[in-house]
Amino acid sequence: MIKIICTAALLILLSEIATAQLPRERVQPDDQVETVFWSTTNIGISTVQNLSARNLNTTIAHTFGTTNRGIEQFFGLDDGANTRLGIDYGISDTFSIGIGRMTFDKVVDLRGKYNLMRQTTSENKPIDLAVKLSTGINTTAGIGLEFSDRLSYLTSFMAARKFNRLSIQLTPMLAFFNDVDGENENRLFGFGILSQFELNERFALGAEYLPVLGDRNPGTEDAMGISLNIDTGGHIFQILFSSSQWHGEQFIMANNRDQFLDGEFRFGFNIHRVFGL
Amino acid sequence: MNKMVIKRRILPYILFFIVFIPFSESVTGQELIYMTDSGYAEFTSHVPLHSFTGKSNHLTGMIDPSERVVDFYIDLNTLKTGIGKRDRDMYSTLNVEEHPFAEFTGTLNSPIDMESTEKQTVEVTGDFTIHGVSREVTIPGTIQKNEDHLLLEAEWTLNLNNYNIEPPGILFYRVNEEQEVRIEATLLPQDRETLSNGN
Repeated sequence: MIKIICTAALLILLSEIATAQLPRERVQPDDQVETVFWSTTNIGISTVQNLSARNLNTTIAHTFGTTNRGIEQFFGLDDGANTRLGIDYGISDTFSIGIGRMTFDKVVDLRGKYNLMRQTTSENKPIDLAVKLSTGINTTAGIGLEFSDRLSYLTSFMAARKFNRLSIQLTPMLAFFNDVDGENENRLFGFGILSQFELNERFALGAEYLPVLGDRNPGTEDAMGISLNIDTGGHIFQILFSSSQWHGEQFIMANNRDQFLDGEFRFGFNIHRVFGL
Repeated sequence: MNKMVIKRRILPYILFFIVFIPFSESVTGQELIYMTDSGYAEFTSHVPLHSFTGKSNHLTGMIDPSERVVDFYIDLNTLKTGIGKRDRDMYSTLNVEEHPFAEFTGTLNSPIDMESTEKQTVEVTGDFTIHGVSREVTIPGTIQKNEDHLLLEAEWTLNLNNYNIEPPGILFYRVNEEQEVRIEATLLPQDRETLSNGN
């Protein structure tokens, strides 16, 4: 009898001790797949990656002359850079707005990106979907254009999926220029193909190809680029070789005249830095 | 009946009362334990010229006022800093695959006045564990009884080096070893007996 009572008492005592610590259980949220791409722009094309709410992304993008200009032009660096400075701000976790300005044509661009769907780890949502709208304004003085003639627009639809370390994005897009020279097209269709492959936590390779579908501006070529992405812990550096010196999808489609596979590519780099506000 | 027989018959009853009476209150479920599984936790990290905050709404824990027991844990995978790449680096630094929880189990240094609705300053002492390393800590905080629930707030500084966590960084860019931790939770009453039944 004493043994039974003692055993019962011990069991109750143990149960009391057990209630002193809750059982540890992992949370199983239907998490979004993080960092489908490391930055909001791959090389020259926007990615599905968006900013979190109240985060500010600053971007500095440089592209120089073609490397085949040789040592005399220091492989294109002496040809001058087309520089785009930009900031984007996360209004919410799925919607961001941005403004930028580049050297060529002194274009100021306003843009917004909205995530329609995020890929989840459970495969409940297998892909990322996003849409981007952008307006470019040619602010060059003394060229005799009305304000409306200076405007161009871009609508792009982004679908991406991350397969382990490899990310692929398909981006159909439509550009429209209110005013064009000569035989240039007002309307351009493109289909961007982007990829990123993570080598490790610090380095990733990137590539993109932007063929223009249908009618295109005379003398232009489909743009292509490759990059090495470096995560320094605070910045994402993208060291790149690209056929296009322009920034912004509609300007790349409208103006790229170099053929990457013929050795007509240039050095460039993008620097991205996100600040939490 | 001789004395020996009487002793044998009575002794079990005496033992029964000695053993069970102290637990009778618990067993009848008259006491309440306060629990949450959706508390808020955040840490703030400082890097040169910048700071960032990781947040989670999955702080889980309980306060047992009668036993003065406090137990909290958080799944570190639920902490988000707003930048996915940074989150992944953080999980790697904390080795969350092997040590998925940050947890604290301890006791209130003084009892909570459950009749008061004023904010009460409290201290808990116990073991804080993260990255597989446990250290005894004393954490200050406040508890306020509001209607039927408890509001808990606490803040303290966590030194990464104390838990064998190497502050991440490259070259001159390194996260400060001291992390400011803050938690807030609304704990709802649960019947002890219901809990023991696993409901």
